Amino acid sequence: MATIADAVGRLASRAGLLAGVVMATLTAGPTVRAAETAAETAAAVSPAPRRIVSLNLCTDQLLADLVPPERIAALSRLAADARLSTIAVRARAFPLTGGAAEDVLALDPDLIVTADHAAPQTVALLRRLGGRVATIPMAQDFPALRASIRTLAAAVGEPGRGEALIAGIDERLAAATVARTAGAPRPTALAWQINRLAAGGASLIDAAMTAAGLDNAARALPLGPGGTLPLERIVADPPDVLVLANAPDDYRTTAADNLRHPALGIAMRGRATVRLPMPLWLCASPRSVEAVEILAAVRARVVAAGAASQ
Amino acid sequence: MSDRADLAKPTGRPDAGSRSTRLVAHPLAWLSAALAVAVLAGLAIGPSAVGLPGDAAAARLILVEIRLPRVILAVLIGGALGLSGAVLQGYLRNPLAEPALLGISGGAALGAVIAIHTGAAAAVALALPLGGLAGAGIAAAALLMLAGRDAGPLTLILSGVAVASLTGALTALALNLAPNPFASVEIMHWLMGSLDDRSLAHVWLAAPLILAGGALLWSTGRALDALTLGEDAAANLGIDLSHLGLRVVGGVALAVGAATAVAGGIGFVGLVVPHLLRPLVGHQPRRLLVPSALGGAALLTLADAGLRLFSPYGGLKLGVVTALVGAPFFLWLVIKSRREIAG
Repeated sequence: MATIADAVGRLASRAGLLAGVVMATLTAGPTVRAAETAAETAAAVSPAPRRIVSLNLCTDQLLADLVPPERIAALSRLAADARLSTIAVRARAFPLTGGAAEDVLALDPDLIVTADHAAPQTVALLRRLGGRVATIPMAQDFPALRASIRTLAAAVGEPGRGEALIAGIDERLAAATVARTAGAPRPTALAWQINRLAAGGASLIDAAMTAAGLDNAARALPLGPGGTLPLERIVADPPDVLVLANAPDDYRTTAADNLRHPALGIAMRGRATVRLPMPLWLCASPRSVEAVEILAAVRARVVAAGAASQ
Repeated sequence: MSDRADLAKPTGRPDAGSRSTRLVAHPLAWLSAALAVAVLAGLAIGPSAVGLPGDAAAARLILVEIRLPRVILAVLIGGALGLSGAVLQGYLRNPLAEPALLGISGGAALGAVIAIHTGAAAAVALALPLGGLAGAGIAAAALLMLAGRDAGPLTLILSGVAVASLTGALTALALNLAPNPFASVEIMHWLMGSLDDRSLAHVWLAAPLILAGGALLWSTGRALDALTLGEDAAANLGIDLSHLGLRVVGGVALAVGAATAVAGGIGFVGLVVPHLLRPLVGHQPRRLLVPSALGGAALLTLADAGLRLFSPYGGLKLGVVTALVGAPFFLWLVIKSRREIAG
């Protein structure tokens, strides 16, 4: 689902670039220079930032757990979308930004955080206009999630909270993890989405499956551009567990017709299908550990059913 | 308007039919053979290797539930587009007439998008093809009102471009306004057409309306033949021209509307097929109808099979392939008509 985030980011950055150009033309040089000086001073002294703006859903979710609400000046618009965000309810209390440079600077932030791959033009423009921007590497597994949390916690001056958050994640992760031991069955699982996107090896869902004692079937399959997997491939060799982020009728779009196809239902008859809400795995967040817990529970049921039938 | 007269010439020679009467059986025979080959290719080609020793139940599922609906739809939709193109070219006495080029497919796509995103299609199954039908009907009627039946190629194409641009823009707008993060993918689907992940449910939705529209279009053959003699002569032969217009618009709306509602707008089939077959069957519009339906079916089924051969993971749209075939043909048509004007 990274493609959606990317597309949203690209659109936002395009809009941001235009707005920024207009603004750079309107505001005279001295103002910009003054802002730059202020940013340099802030970077040198580095007091804990008090007006933080996050431009990306992935950093929104981490930021909300790392700093008290009064230090957040704005979150990204997607943070309030319950279909994508783990903090949708909390996010409604904050100003939300579409990420255009003009809007962001109007919030007078002392720190802007975003994902490292998102909207490079907007980030470059914000920096040129004097914003202090921290880009946080986005995680596709749990070690990388720890690193992301540490980087962001350092940027916002809350290393202690960061370590506490990581300790909480590690505790739940350890409890849910199914160790890879000889003789422990590892059913196959496949995450398949709208637009026929399958989650391959380098993905958060793959890390969650592995931790939960499942083998990602997509690793053994050739995936098309963007990670697509045709229905025929699944029907020819169905996985033990089918993982869906959306119920087939969550979206009316024809892009979801692959999930509504009757052949999928017939092929998965007598096998497990699990709904794993998209917010748990669109971005790595402290709640991604819930994905491991859900998958581990499904694995336990599948293994028990397999043992009972033998 | 000398260009119009020249362009209209190929459809305006009713006497040519008698000379090629013996040949009619011949094109029909090889068109049927081509369609059979296309259907077999459509069933045989796919991302998984069916037919190799393996799970028989899975192979059956792939053939019956995944590839068969796709092939049936390709045959029906290709047939609908080929037949609609042939009828429109005969009725408008204009070789540029074609459902997609004239914006009728665009209208159908808009109707289908509205049916889907208002939730009507989820509530009432038939709302989807009926939405396509209404959109195609409105676009066709608007086109005839804009251009008139006796419009020159320029007026007709300008009107078609206007209707196609408007419906395309409204489709994109409707998809962007709908709460849907997949708008860009879906805009591609509706503008370029696709048979990916179609099921037998789509066949049941579209087939009855496409067949009804096809029958209506086929019934216009005699009137179209009479029309080649001119409107006055046709009226003398007992052809009710306004009734004929209703049958053409109704038939095209049914066939193209239902086809587009399940597969998106697919271009060029209705343009290319009648042109390719006209020299083979003679220039009587009626003789062109059945071969155009067969040819359209074979062309679209082959295009879809080719698509799966070269892009087994999907993503490449059907309209891309038909445009790759159709656009050079369209260029050739432009050059040919220029030469005729010069000559």
